[in-house]
Amino acid sequence: MAADGEPESEVFEITDFTTASEWERFISKVEEVLNDWKLIGNSLGKPLEKGIFTSGTWEEKSDEISFADFKFSITHHYLVQESIDKEGKDELLEDTIPQSMQDLLCMNNDFPPRAHCLVRWYGLREFVVIAPAANNDAVLSESKCNLLLSSVSIVLGNTGCQVPLFVQIHHKWRRMYVGECQGPGVRTDFEMVHLRKVPNQYTHLSGLLDIFKSKIGCPLTPLPPVSIAIRFTYVLQDWQQYFWPQQPPDLDALVGGEVGGLEFGKLPFGACEDPISELHLATTWPHLTEGIIVDNDVYSDLDPIQAPHWSVRVRKADNPQCLLGDFVAEFFKICRRKESTDEILGRSTFEEEGREIADITHALSKLTEPAPVPIHKLSVSNMVHTAKKKIRKHRGVEESPLNNDVLNTILLFLFPDATSEKLLDGTSVTDNNNPPPDSEEYNLYNQFKSAPSDSLTYKLALCLCMINFYHGGLKGVAHLWQEFVLEMRFRWENNFLIPGLASGPPDLRCCLLHQKLQMLNCCIERKKTRDDGVKTSPSDKITNTYSGDAGKAGSQLGPDNLKDTDKEKGEVGKSWDSWSDSEEEFFECLSDTEELKGNGQESSKKGGPKEIANLKPEGRLRQHGKLTLLHNGEPLYIPVTQEPAPMTEDLLEEQSEVLAKLGTSAEGAHLRARMQSACLLSDMESFKAANPGCFLEDFVRWYSPRDYIEEEVIDEKGNIVLKGELSARMKIPSNMWVEAWETAKPIPARRQRRLFDDTREAEKVLHYLAVQKPADLARHLLPCVIHAAVLKVKEEENLENISSVKKIIKQIISHSSKVLHFPNPEDKKLEEIIHQITSVEAIIARARSLKAKFGTERCEQEEEKEDLERFVSCLLEQPEVLVIGAGRGHAGRIIHKLFVSAQRLTESSDEAAAMSLPEEELKKMGSSEERRQHSLSDFPPPAGRELILRTTVPRPAPYSRALPQRMYSVLTKEDFRLAGAFSSDTSFF
Amino acid sequence: MDEDVLTTLKILIIGESGVGKSSLLLRFTDDTFDPELAATIGVDFKVKTISVDGNKAKLAIWDTAGQERFRTLTPSYYRGAQGVILVYDVTRRDTFVKLDNWLNELETYCTRNDIVNMLVGNKIDKENREVDRNEGLKFARKHSMLFIEASAKTCDGVQCAFEELVEKIIQTPGLWESENQNKGVKLSHRDEAHGGGACGGYCSVL
Ligand SMILES: Nc1nc2c(ncn2[C@@H]2O[C@H](COP(=O)(O)OP(=O)(O)OP(=O)(O)O)[C@@H](O)[C@H]2O)c(=O)[nH]1
Ligand SMILES: [Mg+2]
Repeated sequence: MAADGEPESEVFEITDFTTASEWERFISKVEEVLNDWKLIGNSLGKPLEKGIFTSGTWEEKSDEISFADFKFSITHHYLVQESIDKEGKDELLEDTIPQSMQDLLCMNNDFPPRAHCLVRWYGLREFVVIAPAANNDAVLSESKCNLLLSSVSIVLGNTGCQVPLFVQIHHKWRRMYVGECQGPGVRTDFEMVHLRKVPNQYTHLSGLLDIFKSKIGCPLTPLPPVSIAIRFTYVLQDWQQYFWPQQPPDLDALVGGEVGGLEFGKLPFGACEDPISELHLATTWPHLTEGIIVDNDVYSDLDPIQAPHWSVRVRKADNPQCLLGDFVAEFFKICRRKESTDEILGRSTFEEEGREIADITHALSKLTEPAPVPIHKLSVSNMVHTAKKKIRKHRGVEESPLNNDVLNTILLFLFPDATSEKLLDGTSVTDNNNPPPDSEEYNLYNQFKSAPSDSLTYKLALCLCMINFYHGGLKGVAHLWQEFVLEMRFRWENNFLIPGLASGPPDLRCCLLHQKLQMLNCCIERKKTRDDGVKTSPSDKITNTYSGDAGKAGSQLGPDNLKDTDKEKGEVGKSWDSWSDSEEEFFECLSDTEELKGNGQESSKKGGPKEIANLKPEGRLRQHGKLTLLHNGEPLYIPVTQEPAPMTEDLLEEQSEVLAKLGTSAEGAHLRARMQSACLLSDMESFKAANPGCFLEDFVRWYSPRDYIEEEVIDEKGNIVLKGELSARMKIPSNMWVEAWETAKPIPARRQRRLFDDTREAEKVLHYLAVQKPADLARHLLPCVIHAAVLKVKEEENLENISSVKKIIKQIISHSSKVLHFPNPEDKKLEEIIHQITSVEAIIARARSLKAKFGTERCEQEEEKEDLERFVSCLLEQPEVLVIGAGRGHAGRIIHKLFVSAQRLTESSDEAAAMSLPEEELKKMGSSEERRQHSLSDFPPPAGRELILRTTVPRPAPYSRALPQRMYSVLTKEDFRLAGAFSSDTSFF
Repeated sequence: MDEDVLTTLKILIIGESGVGKSSLLLRFTDDTFDPELAATIGVDFKVKTISVDGNKAKLAIWDTAGQERFRTLTPSYYRGAQGVILVYDVTRRDTFVKLDNWLNELETYCTRNDIVNMLVGNKIDKENREVDRNEGLKFARKHSMLFIEASAKTCDGVQCAFEELVEKIIQTPGLWESENQNKGVKLSHRDEAHGGGACGGYCSVL
């Protein structure tokens, strides 16, 4: 008896376990586990519904136990079911046989598509397995096997557990189990035979029936009828007529010219090998009775074509090589490389760089002079190549990883403005296959923190990906990056805006690299405005490449009076007259003369200028609509102001860190405000310059209108007048605003210190770019690559319309957006995303492969086509799919044809003349007699034959209870197995 | 020192100039009301540790200037914030009307989509109310925000506002852990055990 099964007794009764053997301890441990899992007694569930083994949920519980120092795992496998209420349980008759014994006879779940082997063999909904814990451990010797089996017997007897208990014996791969199930007065023994070679008499039904009957050893005559279920499985491996169409794209052909650089923006897609490797057809006779059919060693009635049930499953190639997945995964690998660009390309590169840059600028200045040879307006990238060629001369040809054609194509793709007149249109070049702006797809960059799909950054990511895969791997990447950085410097030095970037301050929703490029563009833009001011005469129109959507959110929020400064900016800097010597120090602006001219006209309209405070107004932008100066009623002018400095997220981060470090004390807060007041001071100075003699009240009314409070008061004469004053907080003595106002001198923006030092910022960006290792670059751009890959997968899915894939893509997007928003996403999570993308690619490739095989496109009848498409999509999503109409249905006929043609090819492989189309063959088959003969040879020998034999007979004596008996057999090429469950009466024998 | 602090949360206060953002913050951190508080220039910053449901959280609160001209700076402070307090002045309808703009900006610059937003109608101690409580409530519901009316002057609702916000943030999974344990997508079923492999698991006949 088990020690812990006993209730504590009142009397002190000492039980001595000190001498208990290992065996006893093992048994009591197993009993303990069964108790813990509450597997004691009979718990009858509902009768098993059809297909529940597949549609239901299986769970398992595990524990570890040891026999001496040998470790076993004990696992309870069970189908999750609603528990039957307790009262019902109490009413159960004492002699009800255990659930598992009843299940042996249930025919609703024969041949489940996916199940534990014991479920498949015995039809069990619940069982416990004891198996060696380590994968390569095994219970081999017969005596040990017997010992285990008798332990099982004892445990079941002791506990009253009615769940079958199995032990796994021999090597694990043999899947050998023996087991037992006990109920009140009844027992079922689970036995098994496993052979490598099949004895001849077991290859057919009649032989198996013989062995079943002899095992039962039924004393009755005649024997009750045996019910039979049979399934033959046929495997199709040769998809002879279909060659897998996908070829890796030939890149040299792309570069060759006619397709053009556009192809660089496209990602490859699809599996390189057939992702569907096998088709398994299972033909099933679910319910036969002995004597109805004949199946012996000379003849068989079992014609697969006639089988009442057909079901199909496909076997998918494990991890088929997929282009898109490979592409992204290879790119991701760069993230782990440690080498710097220098180390990859060789030391000499950087030393050369300086000189070569000089060469480029020189070459360009030649180009801007009237040239005798007609050249396209500008060819930046060609210039770069010239430089590159020179570098190569120094270094030796073989060291340049990218050949000129490839590099040229890429640079033209990245910088379309370099070829021709397009330069002046700025960013107008867009791929025609890009999603329209404002669409959900286009705004994906927002979620991925990548870059818009028509941006330079995004294109660069795709090019690097391509280079990495096809052209020189890491070296190619380093080389292209180096060229890219050169081009950036070239553009900065020569005032060419970088194409493919939205204008305005860096977009913080994009990746840092994109922000850096935008920052550089801001610098170029300011420098260009300044330099253009030098070169062009005042009457010249300034070409401004801004598309006008600068600072979207900012302009939405900006008040009317400030909003316009952006637009006006284009006009700024028309003349050079007032340019001071220290040009780097000052923000530049309208010339005095011109402005005065303008002002004069305006003032004369109003009836002549009034002189105030002896100061000439300077740096006026325009007159404020309504306001006039408080002290003299002059119109209030909005000044030209300096634009605040554009910032990238790393700069902002730095800044906020500095600000936070100042702490929360009053001094800290004061210092913080002071540090941020540069812009306020500058605006005050501009305002003072534009409005000579003004007061803080004037400034506040324009700048922070809510801080000027106006009230209607009745004066001494009884008139209602508007009286205004500064808000309380503005009136606090020596608050920052007052302080700043007092310090501010009337200086127009153009003569103020620059708030934004474009030269310094540009150099900082260029340096940042230059020191990026390929690994850094890959990390910067990975979000763009993932973004592109998701768009690609989406696009391909659209063609196939697979609903499950749609769902997965949605999950990938939300998952990625979570992962990519973290500053340094973990590699593991990134890998997971890439893996998910690859899986989706494989699913789509499988769908295509199946559609091709089943010829859904060739199907003419609309209804049939729909059915077939549904069938194909089920094949992808379900482990096994029923063929409606079995061999006579539409899908069934196609499958038949597939087998026939595969058979023909095997049969006639020796014959010179191969058979033509199988369709004619099928038509010829007239009578069913003829057909049967034919169809037998239409299929290869079954790769698997499964049989289930069942009956209910009394054992061991004729007067014993009639109990369920079952035998399952499976025969495959290299394997033969008999799994029998034989029940007997333990009370009456 | 901060060993028992569960997490540091970044919180942002935004809204039109003069609605009382700095005053609310001062009331929360120092429990005072200072009528002599200057208009904020750029951003200001305060820290306070509070305890919600027994969890201690350190709050790093960024108080932004509502003044238009400083706004070009503020979007950067939206980055990484877990909570946002959007304030309007119940005695000035125009500050309520502008809320849409603020939400727009939030949407544009927030780096995460599960950020917790709270709407605060301030200055309820004043007589000349222009925005009804129901209007604020409706707005908050429409944009799925927390809502409370408060007064930095009389202290009404201030503590409660910050506590509610923090509680909500802590309840939002993945928002405050630096490492969110999302499991990712399960794509394939258990792979079939093929060939002669051990059958610990599930398999088909072939
Ligand atoms: N009566 C009353 N006045 C308040 C309350 N809160 C703030 N104020 C006053 O409103 C004015 C503006 O308050 P601030 O806290 O400076 O406003 P803010 O939102 O920080 O303004 P900016 O810094 O310009 O964005 C001050 O004069 C405060 O004294 C309140 O609850 N009740
Ligand atoms: Mg403030």
